[in-house]
Amino acid sequence: MSAAVSSIREPLITGHKTYHDITEDLIGPTEKAPNFSWVVAFLLSVTLLSFGIFCLIWTFWVGIGSWNLNRTIGWGYDITNFVWWIGIGHAGTLISAILLLFRQKWRTGVNRAAEAMTIFAVMCAGLFPATHTGRPWLDFFMFPYPNTRGPLWVNFNSPLLWDLFAISTYFTVSLLFWYTGLVPDLASVRDRAKGVRRKIYSFVSMGWTGSAKHWQRHEYLSLILAGLATPLVLSVHTIVSFDFATSVIPGWHTTIFPPYFVAGAVFSGFAMVQTLMVITRKILNLNDYITLAHIESMNKVILLTGTIVGTAYLTELFIAWYSQYTYEQYAFFNRATGPYFWSYIGMMGCNLIIPQIFWWKKMRRNIWVTFLMSIFVNIGMWFERFVIIPTTLARDYLPSSWSYYWPSWVEIGIFIGTIGLFFVLYLIFCRVAPVVAAAEIKAILKTAGDQYVGENAKKQTHSHSH
Amino acid sequence: MNQYTFDSKLKTTLLAGIGLGVLCMIATWFADPAQIAEGHTHMRFWTNFLHNTVFFTGIAFISLFVLAAFTTAYAGWYVLFKRIWEAYSFFLIPGLILLLILGVGNITHFHHLYHWADAAEVANDRVLLGKSGFLNNTWYTGGTLVVVGLWIFFAMKLRSLSLEEDRSGTADYSIHRKIRIWCATFMPIAAFSSAAMIWLWVMSVDAHWYSTMFAWYSTASWFVSATALTILMLIYLKSKGYYTQVTEEHLHDLGKFLFAFSVFWTYLWFDQYMLIWYANVGEETIYFKTRIDQFPVLFYGNLIINFVLPFLILMRNTTKRKYGTLIFTSVLLFFGHWWDFFLMIKPGTLETAEHVAHMHAESSDHGDHGDHAAHAASSFIEGFTIPGLLEIGTFIGFLCLFLFVAYSQLAKADLIPLNDPYLEESTHHEVQQDLSGAGGHH
Repeated sequence: MSAAVSSIREPLITGHKTYHDITEDLIGPTEKAPNFSWVVAFLLSVTLLSFGIFCLIWTFWVGIGSWNLNRTIGWGYDITNFVWWIGIGHAGTLISAILLLFRQKWRTGVNRAAEAMTIFAVMCAGLFPATHTGRPWLDFFMFPYPNTRGPLWVNFNSPLLWDLFAISTYFTVSLLFWYTGLVPDLASVRDRAKGVRRKIYSFVSMGWTGSAKHWQRHEYLSLILAGLATPLVLSVHTIVSFDFATSVIPGWHTTIFPPYFVAGAVFSGFAMVQTLMVITRKILNLNDYITLAHIESMNKVILLTGTIVGTAYLTELFIAWYSQYTYEQYAFFNRATGPYFWSYIGMMGCNLIIPQIFWWKKMRRNIWVTFLMSIFVNIGMWFERFVIIPTTLARDYLPSSWSYYWPSWVEIGIFIGTIGLFFVLYLIFCRVAPVVAAAEIKAILKTAGDQYVGENAKKQTHSHSH
Repeated sequence: MNQYTFDSKLKTTLLAGIGLGVLCMIATWFADPAQIAEGHTHMRFWTNFLHNTVFFTGIAFISLFVLAAFTTAYAGWYVLFKRIWEAYSFFLIPGLILLLILGVGNITHFHHLYHWADAAEVANDRVLLGKSGFLNNTWYTGGTLVVVGLWIFFAMKLRSLSLEEDRSGTADYSIHRKIRIWCATFMPIAAFSSAAMIWLWVMSVDAHWYSTMFAWYSTASWFVSATALTILMLIYLKSKGYYTQVTEEHLHDLGKFLFAFSVFWTYLWFDQYMLIWYANVGEETIYFKTRIDQFPVLFYGNLIINFVLPFLILMRNTTKRKYGTLIFTSVLLFFGHWWDFFLMIKPGTLETAEHVAHMHAESSDHGDHGDHAAHAASSFIEGFTIPGLLEIGTFIGFLCLFLFVAYSQLAKADLIPLNDPYLEESTHHEVQQDLSGAGGHH
């Protein structure tokens, strides 16, 4: 193994860690009782989740009429939130698969949490299509299978059905990928555990011994999953964009939608990773593993994808004019100046304009700015979906049926509930598994530890040859 | 050997190639097919001119863009041969001259490439009139001058900093940090400006049609072409004894890019096609309908050459590491994306030429109004529905010109940038199938 690392690169593991330190630092948190702030956060999340469950039950009891949808606007909060969550679910797989292919070593600091986040976000997203039917006990109708319903099949021509396939595939592959990565770390937890904990972890780590053969198979499996996951990152949001773009609705039917949705998804996913990582590194004291270099890299991805999304906004706007198609032109005029102008401002401001502060290195490496920005982007990307969905539907072809939509408390409650669900799952995950992939951190120690690369390494009279 | 010599034998060969191109272009001037000959538009000549100019200028542009993107992303593996991309980017200068000839041609009506450049037509066409705020000579010629001029500025700036690093690079990498700033600055400028240019140069030959995907799609096409040309260049230079440190490890990664971006190109192709087909809006579907009905060889050939074949050939790891398969696929894809641009440009311009010929016939023979169906008659028009020998000759001429510029630049500096901070990483580059994505290499 050649280990030439340019001395211009920053270390990705600081604090002069040994392999043992890494085990202690990363496995340790699963062995201690939760601290006070975790308990508070957990209770808060459970409360939000409970309210969401209440609103779901309300929806099923009272009926979908408890949502504020109307004859003109048949898609509102549910699909806005669905697309928002699915988008957030893109960062994990991007980090595990695409950054892996690009050999970005900094991914090791954040991949585990990002993958977990992906799975939780997809779960939250899946809730919306499942409940928008109003009769979730009939949701099995969505699946095409030989049935007793006579000639009644699902509509294979509909992108909404493709969505179901894409997302369930994506969820399965992400889950397998995440779990495959977890196995060696779960085995490390097992090796240090006693009693019932040991029994549980020995079951979930599937008899991992760390033998050469195990590693070899582990890597083969990961390679196959990475190969599958790479096109999946693109496919899921591509098909979500098809839900809109295959239509003839002005403002929806535009060919840039697929790559623009994918870029937007990565953008929002990274923002959510930042939100979580900034908190996690603080609470679990992981500053040596999720360093400022990691934060900076992620901020660069946010700047890049934000600018791609911004380019797409401006492209759409320009081509709407260029098309000389009156309805298309009006759709965009309406977005910017119509009754929902505030959401257009929110979208442009949070997604295109504000992230430009990341051109400055100081901003990229400032924790507070990063955290605040990640929240802005989360909001901005929510606005984007809101702009695309209700704003467009509210002004349809027939001015006599123009309408306005604002969610009812039930709809807002379900959204709040998914946020609760997301954090409940994430907080449990932080407790039961290493939140940073210990085995992968160990693998990059020799090429990214600060005793080997960067300023510290130069200062020491280390006999490491470059 | 770190100093490339552009020997006289190669010079002669390339000059001969350029000569061949010029001869073919002269012949093309007189070779308009029968159905449009009456319009005296010399459309075959001008479309070939536009096609090759855009294709090769685009490769120069995307080389610069890739250089900027890789630098910004802290990539290290490519550094050994980054001079090739620097050299490619210098074709922007002849590219600008060629584009300005087209711009001046628009103003003086040397050519009829663009339907929107005809004031009389625009006055009677509400759509074109509406677009005339963008589709006009000021934007076309002035915009090209400013935008490509700006690209050239960045190309020269990056090149001069890169050479300065060779001469006086220091351990604090101050020059490299400067390069990073210029590279990062170039990326958004390039992204925005290239889209506008592609709309003007290429998309507007179908003056009524539009697609928001178009700029992405053609940029992906350029990128695959540039990667293919880079692979071929590296293998050629290696065969001449240069770049001994460039190994199959580097070629493997370039092969991966070739594979991945062929798939990405297909992804964009599919999205654009699928969305237009599905929504079935007449103003948009006409673009593909014309191509499928009248240009079937080009249309299906495009997918076979640029997707099916590279996908199957480059799927295996070993084929990305062997000269034979790499050369074959690179040649195929380079030609394939030239073919792709051919298909972007020819149908729209043929229609314009037919329209001009029709108007011409009408003005000499009054009364025969609106007989537009008649002109779609022939299914095989050399130089339009399929590239003829003259097109191939012109292509060779432009390629030789491109290579001449590139080799001249390569000969002006060391082939390997000795003071680049990532040189060591590039020299020891290894493609490992290890999955931590890190595992101690680089």
